[in-house]
Amino acid sequence: MSPELEKCSRSLLVCEKSNFTKEKSRYDIHVSKHYFNYKVSIVIPECASLPASIAGVINSFNSYYRVRDLPIYKLLEEEFLEKVVKKGQFYALSYNTRIDEDNTIAFLPSGQLILSVDKDTYEQLGLEGKPSQYKHRKVLRYVVTIDLTDKLMSPGAKRYQRLITSLKEWVPIKCDLMISSKMTAAEEDGGVLQNLLSQYSFEEHRPTLHTHTLKEMPCPSLHSTDRHGDEKSCDPHHFLEWLGAVSMDISSDNEASSFLSTYVCPDPQSLMSHGLLCTVTGFLIPEDIYSLLLELRRYFDEPKFTSWLSMTVHGFVDSPVSWGTTEHGFLKSGENFYNFVCFRNQDYWLHMATGSHDGCPP
Amino acid sequence: MVCKMAMFMDLNVNFTKDKKTLQNIIETAAHLGYSTVAINYTLESQQKKPEIPKPTSISDLFTKLPVVQGRSRPIRVLSRLTVVATDPSHFRPNAEYKAFDLVAVFPKTEKLFHAACMTFEVDIICVTVTEKQPFHFKRAPVNGAIDRGVFFEIVYTPAIRDSTMRRYTIGNSLGLMETCKGKGVILSSGAEKPLELRGPYDIANLGLVFGLSEGDAKAAVSTNCRSVVLNGETRTTAFGIIRTMKKPPPAPTASEEDKSEERENSAAKRAKMEH
Repeated sequence: MSPELEKCSRSLLVCEKSNFTKEKSRYDIHVSKHYFNYKVSIVIPECASLPASIAGVINSFNSYYRVRDLPIYKLLEEEFLEKVVKKGQFYALSYNTRIDEDNTIAFLPSGQLILSVDKDTYEQLGLEGKPSQYKHRKVLRYVVTIDLTDKLMSPGAKRYQRLITSLKEWVPIKCDLMISSKMTAAEEDGGVLQNLLSQYSFEEHRPTLHTHTLKEMPCPSLHSTDRHGDEKSCDPHHFLEWLGAVSMDISSDNEASSFLSTYVCPDPQSLMSHGLLCTVTGFLIPEDIYSLLLELRRYFDEPKFTSWLSMTVHGFVDSPVSWGTTEHGFLKSGENFYNFVCFRNQDYWLHMATGSHDGCPP
Repeated sequence: MVCKMAMFMDLNVNFTKDKKTLQNIIETAAHLGYSTVAINYTLESQQKKPEIPKPTSISDLFTKLPVVQGRSRPIRVLSRLTVVATDPSHFRPNAEYKAFDLVAVFPKTEKLFHAACMTFEVDIICVTVTEKQPFHFKRAPVNGAIDRGVFFEIVYTPAIRDSTMRRYTIGNSLGLMETCKGKGVILSSGAEKPLELRGPYDIANLGLVFGLSEGDAKAAVSTNCRSVVLNGETRTTAFGIIRTMKKPPPAPTASEEDKSEERENSAAKRAKMEH
C-alpha cells in the first residue's frame, strides 16, 4: 500500500481546561472571535425537555437577512459605512460561494472587509492583498483585507476612492449575502440597512430550533479534573466522535448484526434514561452564542442529575476566516468548530478543532 | 468576463448520437458541481478515410443550459477532439481541428508518445487505462510535455466498470506519477452514461489511489483543467495575446495564401503559457 494512502488529511484539535469564574479564563474571547457560526448543538444528559430559560434565550437571538445580488460597493458608501459598519457588530458573509472555487466576501465586526478572491479577479481589482497561505504549486487565491476603520480609509481619502472604483467599475462584485447587525436590531442605525435592502430582493430569517429527545442510551461519564482521559474520563477525540454520532443520529450500539456503524460510546460510560439534543441553525452571531453559554452555565444553579452538558458551535465551512482573521480554507472539508463541556462546579473544557487548510485555533 | 478560476471541470464526456443520454450526462455533471464539461469526439485513425467529426452546436442540445449546483451560472460545455494515433501521419492539425476547443491525442506507441510530448500541437495526451501500458514513461518526454503545458489525462470510468481495468488504471497511473511527480495530470470521466459520473471531491480522493498527493489530486480536477482550457484557447492566438484571423484577400495567389498560413502556425506554436 502506498504510504500516501495511509495518511489522513491533517486536522487540529486544541483542548483547554479552566473555570468560568476565573478572571484569567479566555472563553469569552474565543467565543467572540469566532465570527461566523451556522449551527449550535446542545447535548444535556438526563434532561427530558428544553428548559424554558434556554428556549427564551434562543428565541431572542438576532434575526438575519439574506439579500440577493447585492453589489458590494453599496455597503461601502459613506452613509452606510458611518452609520452601520463602523459602529461595530455588523456581520456579513457571502452566501452560496465556495471558498475554494469562488470569490468570498466577509465583513467582520471589527470593521474589516475580507475579500478572498481568485487570481483573475485579484489582478483586475488592483487592490493590495496577500497570497493565500494554502496554495499548492501556484498561487491561485489572494486575500485582500481592508480595515475600514483606518483613517486612510475614511470617505474622501485616496485609498477609499480607489476601493470604491475597483468594486464599482473595474470588477463589480455582486453576491448573495447573509447580514446580521445588532445596531439594526436595536433600531439604532436610522433605518439605513433596511433602506438599502429594500432596493434588492431580500428575506428576513429567524434561526431555526430543533429539539430531539434521546432515550435509553449510554453516555460518557466525564470528570472535570481528567481532561486528557487518563483515568476517569474518555479522551477528547472519542468524546467528540460520540457527540458527532449523537447529533447525526448514528447508532452507537455496535451490534454484531449491523454493519452500518461500529461507533461505540467511549468508556467510562453510564446509561442515561433520557437526554436532550437541541440544534439551532442560521447565521448566528457570537454575542447571541455568548448569552446562550451564560444561560447554560446557570443550568446548574439548581440540582440536576447530570454533572456535565455540552455545547458545540460550528463555523461556516466556506467562511474566509476561522478565529479572528486567521485564514480558513477548504481542502476536502472545511470544519472549524468549538465545543464547550460545562460542569456543575463551573469548570469547563473547551475543544477547538479545525481541518487541513486552517491555522491553529487560538 | 466568464470566471474560469479553479472550478471543477470534467474534460472527457463521450459524445453519443443519443441526444437524451448526452443531455442527461451534462445535467448530472451540473448537479454534481462541475462548472465545465467537454464533449469528446474520438477520431479512430485506423479507418480507411477517417472523417473528422463536426462538433454539435450546444444550442442543438439545450435551449437553456443547466445551472451548476450551488451557483447561479449555467454549466459551460466545450468540444474536444481526441485523435487515436498509431502512426505519425494520423495526427494532422488542420482547420478542422481548430473547430474544437480542445485537442487531445492518444498515442499507442512509444515513438508517437515521444513525438506527442515534444512536438505535437495538443492540449492533452491520453494515458492507456484499459490495458497494460505497452511502453514505459521516460522522464525526458514527460518533462518536455509538462514544460510545454501539455497535460496527461487519466480516465476513471473503466476503473468503475471492471476490476481488471481498475488494476491497469492504477498500475499505469502509478507509473506515470513516478515519472512526472504528480505534475501535469488531469482526471476525467470518459462517461458514457450519467451513472458513471462521480463528484469532484470523490475524484480528488480517487486521485490518492492513483498516486497523487492530496493537493495534486484536487488540482487534477480543478486548476490543471483550467490550464488545459486556457491552453486550448491560446492555440488560436499568438503568445496568448494576439488572435490572428485570416482576412480573406480580394484575389489570392497560391504563394500568398501559403505564406500567411505558415506565419499563423509558427506564432501559435509558441503560445503555450504558464497560467
